[in-house]
Amino acid sequence: MTSQLSISDLEDKARWVRLQSLEATVRAGKGHLGGTYSCTDLLVALYYADILGLDPASPDDPGRDRFLIGKGHACLALYSIFKDKGMISQEIFEEFGTSGGALGGQLDTSTPGVEYNTGSLGHVLGIGAGIALAARMDRAAFKAFVVMGDAECYEGSIWEAIVFAGDQQLSGLVGIIDRNRLSVTDVLEDDTFFNEFPNKVRSFGWDCIEINGHDFGEILAAFESAKQSDKPVMILANTIKGKGVSFMEGGVKWHHSVPNGEELDLARIELSPGTAG
Amino acid sequence: MTTSTITSERQNELAAMDMRDAFFDEIYRIARADSSVVFLTDDMDAFSLRRFKKDMPDQFLNIGVAEQNLVNLSAGLAMSGKRVFAYGIAPFVTMRCFEQIKVNICSMRLPVTIVGVGAGFSFEFDGPTHHGIHDVPIMRAIPEMNIYNPSDAASAEGIAKRVHVAGEPAYVRIDKGTFPVLSDTEDDFSSGYRIINPPGDVTVVATGYMSSRVTAVIESLGSDASGIGLVDLYRLKPVDASFESDVITPSKTVITLEESSISGGIGTIVAEMVAESDSHTKLVRLGAEDRQFIQYGTREWFHSINGIDDESLASTLRQALQ
Repeated sequence: MTSQLSISDLEDKARWVRLQSLEATVRAGKGHLGGTYSCTDLLVALYYADILGLDPASPDDPGRDRFLIGKGHACLALYSIFKDKGMISQEIFEEFGTSGGALGGQLDTSTPGVEYNTGSLGHVLGIGAGIALAARMDRAAFKAFVVMGDAECYEGSIWEAIVFAGDQQLSGLVGIIDRNRLSVTDVLEDDTFFNEFPNKVRSFGWDCIEINGHDFGEILAAFESAKQSDKPVMILANTIKGKGVSFMEGGVKWHHSVPNGEELDLARIELSPGTAG
Repeated sequence: MTTSTITSERQNELAAMDMRDAFFDEIYRIARADSSVVFLTDDMDAFSLRRFKKDMPDQFLNIGVAEQNLVNLSAGLAMSGKRVFAYGIAPFVTMRCFEQIKVNICSMRLPVTIVGVGAGFSFEFDGPTHHGIHDVPIMRAIPEMNIYNPSDAASAEGIAKRVHVAGEPAYVRIDKGTFPVLSDTEDDFSSGYRIINPPGDVTVVATGYMSSRVTAVIESLGSDASGIGLVDLYRLKPVDASFESDVITPSKTVITLEESSISGGIGTIVAEMVAESDSHTKLVRLGAEDRQFIQYGTREWFHSINGIDDESLASTLRQALQ
């Protein structure tokens, strides 16, 4: 079972998850490091700070909190976490990126701990709303924690779910937006879409908490607050694409590039244990 | 195998029942016995649903006009142990949310039944956006999908039972209004088709509304039409392998008849089976032309411009028998 880790422990764990993701990407010659690193701290907080309350021996427990991620291309962070928790083996982990291997570039439910088949953006918040609705119908306590990319929020179906969950006051739904300000090809600055985003979401009946998505203190406080809310909660986590590796941070290029040579050496040094984050 | 017949009293009851009532009343009974059943709609009504809403308010929800969310919610509910029916107008609950159905329902084989009302040209004056003539071809492209197209109250009721028992992704397109009961044989609706008249030199394979229409046309032809085979294909996917030996092999000519696009509907489904069979069966496909109909008229008028009105069907059958 999970034990309470200090913030320093969580930072170490996040660095380890990033390093595992790096090595798997280099081994496979493919991966999406930029968007993996922007949400790694959020995922580490969910899985290691007792937010989800996951029992690795029983990932299908009907009473479990559900975790869903829309940006499934960040799968390597989750595979690393699942490996660390003993839910998948090192051998399976190393099948990432191989033909016919168990782990692909998107998540699917054949992997223990994965709730739904990712790949298409914009679906995930509505699915989370359905889970929260089921919990309410059954008077069950579990919640749905849903991570989305900021670019994903341009999908209309995200807003159908925001309207619905606000209207229904689904307190079992917690949305988390990985606001890394970069899409595959472009920079998403504070345009009309994200301008006043928290107030837009609040106007539909949600609580919205804006945080630094790399500050574990702020992340944990937001999750604890979300657990207590009687409304659906959206956490707008300001993040940095490529966070944790200096030359990747904030670069569009690192959506799906693979480092080699000196860049790889530097990335390994920056992600090695004990390095200041 | 023993076959029993439906009593004449029961036949009369079914013939007087709106197809929607037959389907939704069965869903009502199922939901009464199984509290995991949840009924969602995108703001579509039916008289028989009012009782469901009144008696089981915790199992019914109008989620508003948002089909993508309708399917996403259905997926989330089904992932949490619910058996879900998601109801709306046929083209909207299949096309607006196609990817949600493909990924979130079918790829995970969740127990969600999409229910579309408005098969064929039944929304006659509402234009091509409301015509249910491309829903079957589109749903058929999804490997895991089971597609049902009932043709009378008996099949509507039977299909409601089947989809609940199966607990798999399903699409059911239902019609509105009353229809004669096509077969007096008790049926558990597991085979996917009903042989109304044994296949002969000429066999009509029809589905949904057109099964009723062509039954009436064959009856009107009297002895001229004796020997015409008639099969009601109510499960369009998957079609049992026995269909080939039961229907295609014994027929010199098969005529498919549907109120759906000729491209991708049962015309295509049966054509694929004929092409891969060892038979030399000739195939004639009748249905809606492969186009969008930016036109307005009665259902019968749409049939006439597509050559599937009663008069055209009678003429086609007479020619086929020559």
